[in-house]
Amino acid sequence: MKLEKIVERIPSSSWEAISEKLIDIVLNSSNSNKMPSGLAKTILYYWQRDQLNTKIGIQRLLEASAIIDPEETVEVLKELGLQEAIAVIESH
Amino acid sequence: MVDFAIEFVPRDLYWKTTFYAIQAEKTGFHTLWVTDHFNNRNVYVSLAIVSAYTDKIKFGPGVTNPYMAHPIVTAQAVATLNEIAPGRVVCGIGVGDRTTLELVNMKLSKPLATIRESVGIIREITSGKKLEMQGEIFTVSGAKFNFQTTNRIPIFVGAQGPKMLALAAEIGDGVLINASHPSDIYRAMGFIKEGASRTGKRLDDVEIAAYTSFSVAEKPEKAEKAVIPVVAYIVAGCPEKVLQKHAIPMETADRIRKAIIQGKWKDAFSPITREMIETFSICGTPETVVEKIDKLVKIGTTQLVAGSPIGPNVRRSINLIATKVFPHFNIKEGE
Repeated sequence: MKLEKIVERIPSSSWEAISEKLIDIVLNSSNSNKMPSGLAKTILYYWQRDQLNTKIGIQRLLEASAIIDPEETVEVLKELGLQEAIAVIESH
Repeated sequence: MVDFAIEFVPRDLYWKTTFYAIQAEKTGFHTLWVTDHFNNRNVYVSLAIVSAYTDKIKFGPGVTNPYMAHPIVTAQAVATLNEIAPGRVVCGIGVGDRTTLELVNMKLSKPLATIRESVGIIREITSGKKLEMQGEIFTVSGAKFNFQTTNRIPIFVGAQGPKMLALAAEIGDGVLINASHPSDIYRAMGFIKEGASRTGKRLDDVEIAAYTSFSVAEKPEKAEKAVIPVVAYIVAGCPEKVLQKHAIPMETADRIRKAIIQGKWKDAFSPITREMIETFSICGTPETVVEKIDKLVKIGTTQLVAGSPIGPNVRRSINLIATKVFPHFNIKEGE
């Protein structure tokens, strides 16, 4: 399953909460330097336009958090009950 | 009326600084200052990317110094930034951080003359003039930019001691007072008035910025823990007179400075007392910091700079400022 498909399964009512949690992971992890520069710029682009809590914004945040801190990302997905998504992150 | 500014230290990854800059703009900060130390990421590269992702917030080096970079290079950098973001660029200049400059054997010689001439060079050259000058410190023989600056770039001078405060008011569009305590700001106002009067300026003509070390959190102990390293740097670089005024022994400051230079962080941070935190920072819960800012505004502060560390979690602390501090000062989101 691709990240795009994972995000499709997240109810829109949870977008704000998951976005907040993923932003925290991305900003506060000790592995933040693993963030690819191109992905960082994409995230900044969506942040400037208030779109980090939209489907596309969450996709990019999920991609970043899976690279930076897969374990924390899995924890967030567990809280949301997205078991299939966890398998994707773990194989990422 | 007070404007709020925020300071970022580009010790952080470029995209984090930019993320917080975007957040600062969205939440209603008026100005963003980025520090200039050789051991962090370059200030102008950081500001260039900030400029690309923001639309309204003013920004500039806060502060650069003329010892590491010739003022003509500073002028070139701010003029180029101004081309990217016309009318949004400000230039903060001061003598710089003694502790960092000592690492590259840079002596802060003749600070008053150096700053006076530097501000003159930046102002003249960014106004499009061909510059000829024979100063005590700098000599320029016919320098001129091959490009135009479309508007005047305000220059703020960072200052702490009496003579530099007066000079800052005399030659600057604004004074960045390197202090957080009301008694230090009050004392500074006297020197600023004197300096402004030298050129017939009124106090209202000069922006008075309190460049504070700032830390806000819901739990005061978390705010305090975050501010300790910054207070250690401040004490280490503090002029003797300021230390004396606050009853801090010079030996303590020397000990902290040596520990910082040697990278012995525990030795550098452990002498920091609650009194030092009170003296050199605005630290605490949103309610506490509102009280402290109020005092500075009543003394005449027109710009409050929330400087490093801002809080234990920068993103949350910016949100706390926006939701619990700004309303007290009638600042609305996005203003």
